[in-house]
Amino acid sequence: MNLARLALVFTILSLLGFGGGNAIIPQMHADAVKKYHWITSAQFTQFYGLGKLSPGPTTSMAALVGYAAAGALGAVVATVAVFVPAGILVYTAGHWWERLRGNPWRERFARAIKPVVLGLVWAGVVTLARGAADAPLTIGLAVVATIVLLWTDWNQSLLVLAAGIIGAFALR
Amino acid sequence: MSAIRREVVRRNRWLGEDEFLEVLSIAQLLPGANPPNVAVLVGSRLRGVAGGAIALAAAVLPGFTILMVLAAIALDAHLPATNGALRACAAVAVGLTLANAIEMTLPRRRSVVDLAIIAMVAAFVLVLHASLALTLAVFIPVSLVLTRREAA
Repeated sequence: MNLARLALVFTILSLLGFGGGNAIIPQMHADAVKKYHWITSAQFTQFYGLGKLSPGPTTSMAALVGYAAAGALGAVVATVAVFVPAGILVYTAGHWWERLRGNPWRERFARAIKPVVLGLVWAGVVTLARGAADAPLTIGLAVVATIVLLWTDWNQSLLVLAAGIIGAFALR
Repeated sequence: MSAIRREVVRRNRWLGEDEFLEVLSIAQLLPGANPPNVAVLVGSRLRGVAGGAIALAAAVLPGFTILMVLAAIALDAHLPATNGALRACAAVAVGLTLANAIEMTLPRRRSVVDLAIIAMVAAFVLVLHASLALTLAVFIPVSLVLTRREAA
């Protein structure tokens, strides 16, 4: 049952995942936390953080949600469901889209989708923050990370890793 | 993405510079994460369906494997330290996303239309709990109308 639900949830997310991945965060949270109770809100943000530790897009965190919901097989099902439908769509629509090169509608769609995706990204920030910024130390870490990333070119994954090491000692 | 460009355009000469930019713009506009999308498009140009499928698998599998190892350590081991580590990772990940959102929004700060659409979409999702499908169905047309006088 969970496997079928996982497949459905992540296939829909895959096909609606405009803007590279972060725009699906609110819907993934709504499905995995509120609707199906596979994980808690805190786990959702933790999985997102683990996703940042490994190479590859944010969407990879689907594997962790699938793992929590239905074990190793769940991880495989969620990963296939989140990547393959979009892959097939890109394969099919890619040729068609290329033929629209220079068509004004293509440019207009490209222009129109950007602020919509950004609105979803901001909603994702709030969704993720609700599950993580719950104590003075975690709020402080989030603020410091934001400032460091806005003002430096430090590697994101290393920053998450460093936080994990700090947290292992300071947040027991 | 710069690493992908280096491999595809410079080292292996699979695609020309212009062709790669075209692939990238298609990958960014269609649903799905950008690196796997680029992989599918490059792979399918070289070897059709099989090339696309193999490139997609190659783009996804390393990250998947690492995440499974991390999951085994962080979720199954139940060490006293992992809970604190996970909470701290989560907090920093919120910071990454916030910084990313700020950086993507700053170039648009003078566009009232953009800021209005961003605020409406965020409120639609957070306050009204609208689904992703509904949000896209409502706001892509709204945005097409409001941004009709501008180019990308």
